[in-house]
Order: sequence, then structure tokens, then C-alpha cells
Amino acid sequence: MTEATDAALEVLLRAARETATARRIAGDAETALLQSVVDAAATIFDAEASSIALFEPDPDRLVFRVAGGAQGDGVVGITVAPTHGIVGYVFSTGEAIALTDVASDPRFDKHTAERTGYLPRSIAAVPLMDAGATVGVLQVLDKRSDESFSLKDMDLLGVFARQAAAAIEAARVGRDSERLLRNALTSIGGEALDEEALDALVTAAADELDRDDEAPFWRLVDRVAQLRGTSDADLELVDEILEVVSRHRSHRLGRYGRRPR
Amino acid sequence: MSEAGGIRPAWSEPFIGDAVAGLVREARLDQLDREWAFDGAAGRGVTVAIIDSGIEADHPAVGGRVREQVVVEIEDGDPVVVEDGEGDLFGHGTACGGLIVDLAPEVELISVRVLGADLKGRGAAFLGGLEWAIERGVDVVNLSLSSRSEALFADFHEVVDRAYFAGVTLVSAANNSPGASYPSLFSSVVSVAAHEQPDPWCWYYNPKPPVEFGAWGVDVPIAWKDGGATAATGNSFAAPQVAGLVALLRSKHPGLTPFEIKAVLAATADLAPPA
Repeated sequence: MTEATDAALEVLLRAARETATARRIAGDAETALLQSVVDAAATIFDAEASSIALFEPDPDRLVFRVAGGAQGDGVVGITVAPTHGIVGYVFSTGEAIALTDVASDPRFDKHTAERTGYLPRSIAAVPLMDAGATVGVLQVLDKRSDESFSLKDMDLLGVFARQAAAAIEAARVGRDSERLLRNALTSIGGEALDEEALDALVTAAADELDRDDEAPFWRLVDRVAQLRGTSDADLELVDEILEVVSRHRSHRLGRYGRRPR
Repeated sequence: MSEAGGIRPAWSEPFIGDAVAGLVREARLDQLDREWAFDGAAGRGVTVAIIDSGIEADHPAVGGRVREQVVVEIEDGDPVVVEDGEGDLFGHGTACGGLIVDLAPEVELISVRVLGADLKGRGAAFLGGLEWAIERGVDVVNLSLSSRSEALFADFHEVVDRAYFAGVTLVSAANNSPGASYPSLFSSVVSVAAHEQPDPWCWYYNPKPPVEFGAWGVDVPIAWKDGGATAATGNSFAAPQVAGLVALLRSKHPGLTPFEIKAVLAATADLAPPA
């Protein structure tokens, strides 16, 4: 019996590692989506640069995650205080704004601009909102065809912001469910699963959950748990956690899918 | 209350018998025009609170009209209002103040800073600042920010109603993002979005709420941080234009209520872009 369990667990782990590797090669879906938003924004506005900064706590800061456009690259990885500059203002108030002729303003946040290697003349910035809060800021620098941004530009930028916010929310839901999954797997696997094995299993199981909560992968996990002689109470707990995870996932993703109005 | 022991609802009292004589108002919609509403007004005697990022009191754009500066801090989860010496964190409060003083040069400004380092208490600070301004007895409040906190819905609603009954006009920038936005979506608030006509004396009334007024909000020349200036676009620059008009109205017609102020603004609004 122990032999059968170990063999099954081995198969499971191999499958999980392959899925995790495939996923790593494909890259992080959230970043890819955000990148496509800034690339599209830079192209549509014919802008020198476009970027997205996301809020991260402890300490509170806005981190530029992705950038597009000819002058965009320098900003990626730069961190600013949420109490600072145009990006901080838009994040703090949730209000979209555009400024013209910012470089001529002697006290425009030149320090940050210089760190990026690009000093803009005009900026349009809109908040990224999820259901309950502002989660980041999307900005576009220097529209080539005009020295300032129109109301139509601001509306259009708002549409891009909703795309980005949808990607961020979906990723957050994913992270929440993966945390729950990890707890469930730890209770099944016990000491047989090290950190790396857990990572691989969580990634693979999360992929399956994306498609179907009755996935064969999860049935396999369940079977392994039974073979390992996990107690009925533990199994029940795992079942419940899984149900919550899959419901949470389909509810949140489903609701978000209907959201753009 | 009625002395008849509450049989007749007290709400009817103003409409019964001799009490009706007390309903004569200054504002008659059929007689309203801009001359009646604004001519000769400069904002004298009117106090406008700007709930924002602070104000640079010595910025030439605000013309020395700043009377008081406070900041709302969060202590043990509760808002505490203290004197503020920080100036303007972003430049935005100064921009709003400058636009209001442009229209109403004799107005008195009060800066209520609610933007600051503590992001967690942001909604509570905003609410606390609004409450403080109403209790302080200001006439107009400019709000170029909003909260998305569902948890604060009821609190905001209560405070906004209190402002309405106290005769304090709240002018709020509309938020373009979908979803909750308090207090800009409440019915008693003067909610403003941007239009493109470069003229502070051009405003529109939209009979389809929630956003009832449109004011200049594209490439508006504004004051900015550290004595600077720039040009800006956004609903948050349209709201102060309307707050300035409300200040003029209140200085010439001090008895106007928030409801009447909305009616006057609607009656005197442009019907087409200026020629």
C-alpha cells in the first residue's frame, strides 16, 4: 500500500512539475495582460510612453510594473510614494487628470522623471479601480499628434484602465485561491511534500481549477489522499476547502466577466 | 411640531394656513437670469472649504484668501482635526482654490487636508473632514475627490444630508470610473463633469442625473505646487468652477438653500456652446 501511494504521488508530482514549468515559460499572465494594455494605449494615442503603476503595501508604495512606447522602458521597476506626484495624486483621489506643459513647471516631479530618463511635456493619468478600491494608475505621456489630451482621450484611457483592472482582479482571485489550495495540500501531503513540490502542485491544481472544478487532476489528488490513509475528517475539510476555492473563483471571475458596461 | 398631539404630520406645517406666507422665496425660476443671480457679486462673506491636498496659502493664485488650514489625522481609527502647516502635498488644492478665487475674489477659503501619508484611513479622514467643515459652518464645500468604500456609504449619506439641511452646498467632481463613488453620486450634491468650452462662465445643466452640471475642465490654466502653474484637464478642475459660481450666488443671495442654488444654476445654464 505504501508503495502504491508513493508511486501515485510520484506521478502526481511529475505532472504538476511539468505544468508549473509550462506556466513559467508562458510567463505571468497578469504581467502579460498589463503589458498588452500599455502597448495598446501607447499605439492608440501615438504616445511616447505609457505605463502602469500598482499599489503595494508595507511600506505603502506605487511600483511601475509595465511600460510601452518608445520612451517607456526606463520607468519599469521604479517605486514612488503614493503621496507624490501626478501618479500619487490620481491614486489618492481616484480622479483622472491630464496636465499640459508639465516640464515647464519648475517643480514638476523631475526627480522621478529623470530617473526614468525621460521628461514629458504632457501626462494623462487615470485610476485603476477594482470593486472596492483604487489599485493602481495608468498613465500616458506625450501624445505626438497634440500637445494636450481631450475629454475623448480621457474616456478612452478609462476604457484601457478597466481592462487593466480586470486583469489585476483576476490575478488577485487566483492568488487567493492558490493560498487556500496550498493549505489544503499541506494537510493531505504532510511531510511527503516539500516547498518545491507544494509550489508545483498548487500551480497545476490552480490551472485545472481555471477550467473545471471536477478536474481529473483533483480526483487524482483526492485518490492519493485516500491511499495515504488521511482521516475522513481531514478529507472532508479538504473537500470543503476545495469547494470554497472553486466557488470563489467562478463567482469572482464570472462576475468580473459581466462587468464592463 | 403640531400642538394637536401629532395627528397632523409636522412635515405639513409649513404648507398650512398663515404659515404659507413664510414660503416666499428670493428665487423665482421664471424670473431668474444671470444678472439677478451674479451681477455685482464677488463672494464677500462666503466661506468655501476645499477638501483636498492642502493649499499653499502664499501662492499668488489664491490672493491671500486662505483663512484657516487644517488636516484630518486618524488616531485609533477616529478622525482628529488639527492645524495644518504642510502647505499643499500635490498642488491640487491650490489649483482648486485659485479657480474659485478667480471667479469670486472676495471669498474666504478654508483648506481641509485629507490626503496624506495614511492611506488606510483615507475614507474615514475624508468623511471626518467633511463633517468638520459642515460643523464649522462653511457655506460651500469643494470636493474634487470621492470614496469607493461601500462600508462608508451610510456614514457619507448621513453627513451629506446633514449638509443639505444645514444649507451647506457640496460641489463634487464626478468620478468617471464605474461603481460606487461617494458622495458624488448622492442626489443633494452638485455633481460636476468637465466640458471643453474654455470659459468659466459657460456651464450646462443635464436633466439626467447623477451628473447634473458641466463646467470648463479641459486645458484649464491652474496654479500648481510651489508657486507654479500648469494647464490641466479633468472633472476635478470643473468642480471648482461651479463652486466659484455657488460662492457668488451665496454672497449676493445669502438665503439660498442648496436646492435653490441647483435650481438657479439650472435656470441660468447655457443651452448651447458660446458663439
